Amino acid sequence: MSFQEALNSGKFIVTAEVGPPKGTDIETLRHDIELLKGKVDALNVTDNQSAVMRICSLAICKIVMEHGAEPILQMTCRDRNRIGLQSDLLGADVLGIRNVLCMTGDHVLAGDHKGAKPVYDLESVQLLGAVDSLNNGKDMSGNDLRGGTHFFQGAVVTPEANPLAPQLAKFEKKIRAGARFFQTQAIYDIEKFKDFMEFARKFPVKVLAGFVILKSAGMANFLNKNVPGIRVPEDLIEELKAAGKEKALETGMDIAARHIRRLRDEKICDGIHIMAIGMEDKVPVIMQKAGLL
Amino acid sequence: MIITRKKDRKELLENVRRYKSFFLLGCSECATLCGTGGQEQLDELKGLLESEGRAVAGAFVAKTGCQVLGTKVELKRFKEELGKTDCVIVLSCGAGTQSAVEIFEDKAVYPSNDSMFLGNMTRLQMFDERCSLCGECILDKTGGICPVTACPKGILNGPCGGTKDGHCEVSAEIPCAWVRIYERMEKIGRLEDFKAGTLAAKNWSASVKPRKLTARGVPEKPQASRGGREEKK
Ligand code: SF4
Ligand code: SF4
Repeated sequence: MSFQEALNSGKFIVTAEVGPPKGTDIETLRHDIELLKGKVDALNVTDNQSAVMRICSLAICKIVMEHGAEPILQMTCRDRNRIGLQSDLLGADVLGIRNVLCMTGDHVLAGDHKGAKPVYDLESVQLLGAVDSLNNGKDMSGNDLRGGTHFFQGAVVTPEANPLAPQLAKFEKKIRAGARFFQTQAIYDIEKFKDFMEFARKFPVKVLAGFVILKSAGMANFLNKNVPGIRVPEDLIEELKAAGKEKALETGMDIAARHIRRLRDEKICDGIHIMAIGMEDKVPVIMQKAGLL
Repeated sequence: MIITRKKDRKELLENVRRYKSFFLLGCSECATLCGTGGQEQLDELKGLLESEGRAVAGAFVAKTGCQVLGTKVELKRFKEELGKTDCVIVLSCGAGTQSAVEIFEDKAVYPSNDSMFLGNMTRLQMFDERCSLCGECILDKTGGICPVTACPKGILNGPCGGTKDGHCEVSAEIPCAWVRIYERMEKIGRLEDFKAGTLAAKNWSASVKPRKLTARGVPEKPQASRGGREEKK
């Protein structure tokens, strides 16, 4: 069953992600893909994440497919203009990549080539529009294509954004531009997330709740302080603290499993997107704890 | 106005090391307001050059340095001083410097400043950038605040995921342009326009360089191109 079919089947979906490495040694990456394939419904492949230069997402999506897993091509607007983006989308289509996640992308200043010229010829909403247009056999300038694309396109949303109203307005624009599924920024406050879902349920889109595995109270504090749109509530930080150094990661995984169970059992959203950030081997463990394997 | 900043003086002296006699040309407009090209800065540079044993044959603050013809006429009375000069240092923006290049066909012309942006003066000698001269203004669509300039990513349709408590992911010192636009559109009762409209990608062909315009007797620009305009679906 493809990712799109799985989402439409009503089953609780799990996606995870792999980050292409900096350099051509992809042994660890292949190992992570092997570990996750058959367990998750699709694997996001990040696009020069945090503006740090790495292998391109497109090539790694192809590798993911070689291993028999289904990739979600993350595409940011930071490094390519509309010609480059559309051209890569056509390329992705002929390689058989079907899922694309459209994002504006972290600014160049966040990364390791701070003097680079940021492109942003398009942004997420316009990129979604471009995908929609290619799917309908035309490029952004209205020229006919000899063969259109076949993408299932998604986008991201930050349910904990402060202020929230402008973010929600943009969420609606993304839907109008053609987004069919969303993966959210990491959420930890389920009650608050329910409010967001009440709003999101008004639209015909699927929503996967984002989750970053917490390995310590220190990491939770770091996320709160440094990552926009992430808020780990105090009681979870206390729980991690109380677990002590040895048991913190175990507790972090328990928290993840507990959240997943609740999201699934109460049918709050359509699935979960687990961002393991280097702890890919923990994803199956969490899935097992949550009763998904 | 055009915002300029003085180049490092050591670098400037190094750039002009081969010349012996100078003429200093300032500008009474932007560069004076920026404190980079008024009488005071001319005197300062003159003192510096002389302390290094170089001669300053003359110095003059032009009325408007980017106006080529006017500046040329103003400079006529410095014929003698200019005759003794082998290098002109211009204390204004890059445009003013290039007026001088056009006026002094056979003399070396050096910039004393770095030209930075088109800026608004918020307080004395404090400037910020609000317009980046994109060639097709969309302020009518964004509540009068320019996202092309105020958002480091130039996003046209609402905040990215990087907004943190109303600030930009790029720097906590930058208020998020899209939070500002949203709040302003709410205040002026135009929030519905923002919510309903999606702006298409900008048409950057309107800012292909070098740009040229003859404003004399030219009718209004015909049909605006599609870019940055509302998308019809
Ligand atoms: S939209 Fe273009 S012309 Fe208008 S303020 Fe912004 S940069 Fe300047
Ligand atoms: S935080 Fe706001 S101003 Fe900064 S890049 Fe994102 S949308 Fe633009």
